[in-house]
Amino acid sequence: MKTIYNLVVKDIIRFLNDKPAVLLTFIVPMVLIVIFGSIFGGSGSPRGKVNIILVNESNTPVSRILEARLDSAKSLRIVKKYLPENGKDSLKFTETVAKEYVRTGKISAAVVMPEDFFTDTSAALKFKFYYDPKNEIESSIIQGQMQQTIMTQVPRLIPFLMQRRAIDFIGNDSTAMFAQSLGGILETYFDVPADSFVQSLTKIDTTELTQTVADDSSEENQMFGNFVKFESEQLVGKEVSNPGLTRSVGGWAIMFLLFSLTGAATSLFEEKQEGTLKRLLCMPVNRSQILWSKYIYTMSLGVVQLFVLFVFSWLFFGVDVFSNLPNLFVVVVASAAAAVSFGMLITSVAKTINQANGISTLVILVMSAVGGSWFPVTLFPDWMQAISKVTLTYWSVEAFLQVLWRQAPFTAIIPNVLILLTFAFLINAYALVRFKNGKVF
Amino acid sequence: MLKINHIEKTFDNLVALANVSLNIEKGEFFGLLGPNGAGKTTLMNIIIGYLQPDIGTITVDDEIIMYEDLEMRKKIGYVPQDISLYLELSAYQNLIIFGKLYGLGKNELESKIDEVLELVQLTDRKKDLVKEFSGGMKRRLNLAVSLLHDPQILLCDEPTVGVDPQSRNAIFDMLTKLNQKGKTILYTTHYMEEAERLCSRLAIIDHGKIITQGTLLDLINQLDQKETIKIQKTAHTKDKIDSINNLGHVTEYDFYYELLPKEENSQHSTIFKHFETLNIPSQFIEISRASLEDVFLNLTGRSLRD
Ligand SMILES: Nc1ncnc2c1ncn2[C@@H]1O[C@H](COP(=O)(O)OP(=O)(O)OP(=O)(O)O)[C@@H](O)[C@H]1O
Ligand SMILES: [Mg+2]
Repeated sequence: MKTIYNLVVKDIIRFLNDKPAVLLTFIVPMVLIVIFGSIFGGSGSPRGKVNIILVNESNTPVSRILEARLDSAKSLRIVKKYLPENGKDSLKFTETVAKEYVRTGKISAAVVMPEDFFTDTSAALKFKFYYDPKNEIESSIIQGQMQQTIMTQVPRLIPFLMQRRAIDFIGNDSTAMFAQSLGGILETYFDVPADSFVQSLTKIDTTELTQTVADDSSEENQMFGNFVKFESEQLVGKEVSNPGLTRSVGGWAIMFLLFSLTGAATSLFEEKQEGTLKRLLCMPVNRSQILWSKYIYTMSLGVVQLFVLFVFSWLFFGVDVFSNLPNLFVVVVASAAAAVSFGMLITSVAKTINQANGISTLVILVMSAVGGSWFPVTLFPDWMQAISKVTLTYWSVEAFLQVLWRQAPFTAIIPNVLILLTFAFLINAYALVRFKNGKVF
Repeated sequence: MLKINHIEKTFDNLVALANVSLNIEKGEFFGLLGPNGAGKTTLMNIIIGYLQPDIGTITVDDEIIMYEDLEMRKKIGYVPQDISLYLELSAYQNLIIFGKLYGLGKNELESKIDEVLELVQLTDRKKDLVKEFSGGMKRRLNLAVSLLHDPQILLCDEPTVGVDPQSRNAIFDMLTKLNQKGKTILYTTHYMEEAERLCSRLAIIDHGKIITQGTLLDLINQLDQKETIKIQKTAHTKDKIDSINNLGHVTEYDFYYELLPKEENSQHSTIFKHFETLNIPSQFIEISRASLEDVFLNLTGRSLRD
């Protein structure tokens, strides 16, 4: 026991003397947490707006109201003018200039409402959307925002356009008849005056389309507004002060664990190279004591590393690590155990330190990508989600989500913890067999 | 005190040790001389319980040393052939780490560290990182680490390899001092000069077999010729080598030929007469007593350095 303790102390002394290792173990994770914490708005600053050019060449009330609404959209910053190269006065964007701006990467997207955006006979709104897919998230934000603006700001437009479609297909008379009978039904059962409904459907006066926005309480408007009704309530993470980081910190944690603990385990190779492993084995120290000390040392290193990481996330980004502390600790220990076993496996199968480093870096990166350290696995295709489940990263990430994000009780993490510990046990057993026949000792 | 009984060890198909038996008495400075790959390190590894022999036993004070016998290792100090130190740490940190593993208490360890540092003359460098040490300093520290627990038996596996003459002499003096204080030393080397200078008794090992053992005088007395004749290599003597060959067994070295004269030529007068007729001036001739080199040559037909 004393011997194992002395061996652990030896590893700690060596670790502390190795400044780059200390840096990699503690500082690099912190830096990355700062970067990601800031991306997810952790420090409380609002997320940046997406810049977008808007060219309105149409002169209809609908386009004008959309323009006004987009102007005030929360996640977009609308740009309409530009400064020509040799001019001093800024000019309004034209479609051609806007396209050039997107093509040369000066802006990520442009929305054009052309002259025929909405005419007397249009059965659809005609937008032109130019974008550079270098950032898909940006494109989706823009498109989503556009749709949302149309749906919420000019809700009557939709049935109106549907009506025009109907006329295109079945002719004026049949459409009018359909509207009449629908109006009748509505009047009977919903107490909506049939006339006003029919009128609102068939009215060709487009100026009224926009007025309804100001007059939100009009019966028809409410009627249409009620066709689709979302009642959304956030059930999880409502009180979480930094949702983005809280969700992702577990993924980073297990990745750092894998890297640092594999490094610590493969230090057996360094000791072999330096000859100190042999010297130890010629002293009153045996092989299993050396292995035990490596386990204890790497486990403790992992726990300390994650402790520092979590306290840092809490201090600077308000990630709540304390209200579920005992369960968090259980997950940390189980994850560290799994990571250590992975490191031991690598150490026992590799023949040299370089081999060990190469293999472990590759496997850790793949496991982190597939197991959900970087992106939620729910984004993956089904077959890949199936593969995720054989990585220890997946079970660790899920367990961290449970305790940090859902603030789940111990019972909820039992399966994950058991799976991680089983991973650890089986891999270790295999590594031990390999050590017996291997080249390390 | 240290008995090696019929040890055999085979790696795959290579016989590293074949029926090796040695008996090293308390207080002896015992040398094990042999060329590269003779099996010296393998024997050391078996004595310390790092390797398991296929056959045979090792006893210390009539107690058998088992494989991974941790208690027994406290009685033995082992100086590995390769430098085995934490290069990124200071000399002092190395001594602390290894000393603790021998179970030394804090105060005992501190005073022991001072003592061994004094012995290997590294006291003023103890705070420096080992990787900044010269080859000779590393060797000395490598030895110092093995002395911390004050072992009764010291196994030194080629402790002077790659060391400058000054450090080498320092190591010789240290070991002699330790031996005088009563430590039993088993010393392996492939330098016959070291074995001759240091060891009170020695064995020669070749291809895993002990080919002879005894005191230096015993071994040399086995030879028919107790003297060798060295002929300096010069432009003048070089063309005469064929004729010299007729006088006895000639071995060529970098700077001289060594002649073991035939029985009929063993008289100095006869041999000098031969040289005279060959027109080799006596300035180029040196007569010296036979060395372990000659013993090895006599027994194996090869030179130690081949
Ligand atoms: N672990 C091993 N596996 C296979 N062969 C080995 C092993 N260790 C030693 N040998 C072989 O056993 C023989 C004896 O090796 P050993 O290291 O004991 O020689 P040595 O006398 O110490 O040589 P040197 O003077 O070069 O140190 C050599 O042929 C070596 O190749
Ligand atoms: Mg050797």
